[in-house]
Amino acid sequence: MAEGKIFTEKVWIIMIISTLIAFTVILGVLAEAISYTGPSAVCPVKYVELNEKIKPGVKQLSLGVYEVTIIGRQWAWTPNNITLKNPRKIIFKVASEDVLHGFEIAGTNVNVMVIPGYVAVITWTPPKDMEGTYIILCNEYCGIGHQSMYGTLTIVRG
Amino acid sequence: MVDNFNKEDRFSRISILFSFVVLAVGGLFGIIQLLNRTPYFPKFIDASTYYLVLTGHGVLLAIAWTAFFIMGVGVILVTRETGLGVNSFLLNLSLILSLIGTLMAAAAILSGNATVLYTFYAPLYAHPIFYIGAALLIFGTWIYAVAIFQVYLRWRKLNPGKGAPLATLGVVTTLIIWLEATPILVIDVLKNFIPMSIYKMPVDALEARTLFWYFGHPLVYFWILPAIAFWYYGLPRLLGTKLFSVKMAKVAYILFILVSTPVGLHHQLVDPGASDIAKFIHVIFTYVVASPSLLTAFNVTATLIKAGRERGGKGLFGWIVKLPWDNPIFAAIGFSIILFGMGGISGIINASYVLNYVVHNTIWIVGHFHLTVATAATLTFMGASYLIIPMLFNKNIKSVYLARLQPYLWFIGMFIFSLAYHIGGVFGAPRRTYDVLYGGLIPKEWIYTLGIGAVGGIVFWVSGVIFIIQMLLTLSRGTRLSKQIDIKFTPMDYEVSRPSILDRLGIWIIIAALLIFIGYSIPLYDLYTRGLAPYPPISPFGGKV
Repeated sequence: MAEGKIFTEKVWIIMIISTLIAFTVILGVLAEAISYTGPSAVCPVKYVELNEKIKPGVKQLSLGVYEVTIIGRQWAWTPNNITLKNPRKIIFKVASEDVLHGFEIAGTNVNVMVIPGYVAVITWTPPKDMEGTYIILCNEYCGIGHQSMYGTLTIVRG
Repeated sequence: MVDNFNKEDRFSRISILFSFVVLAVGGLFGIIQLLNRTPYFPKFIDASTYYLVLTGHGVLLAIAWTAFFIMGVGVILVTRETGLGVNSFLLNLSLILSLIGTLMAAAAILSGNATVLYTFYAPLYAHPIFYIGAALLIFGTWIYAVAIFQVYLRWRKLNPGKGAPLATLGVVTTLIIWLEATPILVIDVLKNFIPMSIYKMPVDALEARTLFWYFGHPLVYFWILPAIAFWYYGLPRLLGTKLFSVKMAKVAYILFILVSTPVGLHHQLVDPGASDIAKFIHVIFTYVVASPSLLTAFNVTATLIKAGRERGGKGLFGWIVKLPWDNPIFAAIGFSIILFGMGGISGIINASYVLNYVVHNTIWIVGHFHLTVATAATLTFMGASYLIIPMLFNKNIKSVYLARLQPYLWFIGMFIFSLAYHIGGVFGAPRRTYDVLYGGLIPKEWIYTLGIGAVGGIVFWVSGVIFIIQMLLTLSRGTRLSKQIDIKFTPMDYEVSRPSILDRLGIWIIIAALLIFIGYSIPLYDLYTRGLAPYPPISPFGGKV
């Protein structure tokens, strides 16, 4: 009985360790494969220099490559409604003017914290067949008007 | 024996009764919030009330309900297991400070002066009373920790040839983790939040947030570990068997001490400005800290199988039906273990950063922590109450049938709620919001999952109401216990045989400090060397303070 118990224990411990090693390896490989490095940042951006450093708007860098700069404040995104034609790659730069916000395009992988003083920079490659209108919402509590902080991203193909 | 600890038991009675009051208020806030955030359910409160209720729900249940129940039950476990008394001056002082602190924070929240949610991210402004109350509560818990450590050290001294007793070791481990985590929060509050609140001092939001999550993740082990200790200690006694492996239980405790803290960045995986390498280190540590949970799952399941077989269970699954599922204490623990398993799996998904950005800040997370803190911890504490309340108040549980029903309702409701919320999260439904309609743009998946989640939520809320009514009835109408509770509280021989390296906590605390240094030196170095970006405090009601 005692030996059987120790054997079961050992098997279980080996299973745990190998599972966790497998997870770590898979995660590392996956991250490498989709070149996911997490959001980078322009930082620190001092409170007084925010408005001269960050100009909200949409710029087309080359065919299908856009740079979208957005400022979040209580309780709106600027710009609020964005339309992009045949986007291949979108670089989002998102800044906050006041408190924490969360920049999420619902139903996509775009999801980044927006921290005052730290301009979030993420690159997103939307799926080739993706089109239509998506909600851009704030997913971090930012005061009592939090729920009205949303806009739209419209992707047009053709 | 039971009557030897009058002063300690008075502490536990006050502490646990207060935790029930908090549970009732926090639970009421929960149902208000749940219904209000369900799509197309008529709004019956305005947005500022909603966020006030949400703040109250989080602070009261995640901090106050757990802390007061744990302090109460901790004293019972430690006194009964070691047979030693606890310094009553320290106990009373800790209780007074914690109560005052909690009442101050609660007053700030309920008066609408701290609508900042339980994470109170800077630079959102709350009244100084909120932060001062939170700090006082923590000071109170530190004094409590000192009192418990005294007992532990005395027991070790009186029993030189024995290993540390399991339940006491669990409580001590919990408090060690608490002491790893809370000093940084107190520094954060004193350095950032109180000056921000009083002098309108600008604050760096990332710094405040990083320090908050340094505390915020070990906090979850503060909730879970007492539950796990209760499984290790209570299950064998309840089932009349032995714990499958005492050694494995101690290894689990030590792993929690080692890696519960340098994992906080897994709450910040999508934060700009936090180093990628540090995030990866924290993710690996998070996987490591999943291992004691997996060890626990194995150990308690093996104990249950053994107990079931000893009761005549045959075959692969025969042991399950032989377990006393009609005993509310056992049913509560059994369901807690099952849902803790689900919560553990979703936790590993949260930590895996390529998956995290699908679910970050969505209702997935709400589903996750309702399995862990709101079930593994809370339902276990409810089960423990069915044992402890009769003992503390010398009353029989009133209406055994309701008591039997209660854990089942919680399990069914929570299963539906959390599953629906997990799925809704994958579709991107955000957490922490008054309204998800977004001017009619709401995807239909959100409507279904939030709607089904609401049904589950109502079911486990009813279970909570039954629990509270049950306790009220027991206290007011319960008949006197006819005999002493028939459980051997002192450690059984096999539980304390042979002290080993696993009982030398000092060594493990030093290694834990080293791991915290490895985990946090990079992000903090980055943060402070590149210069901070302080922004002025902002009111949750809009605009500068």
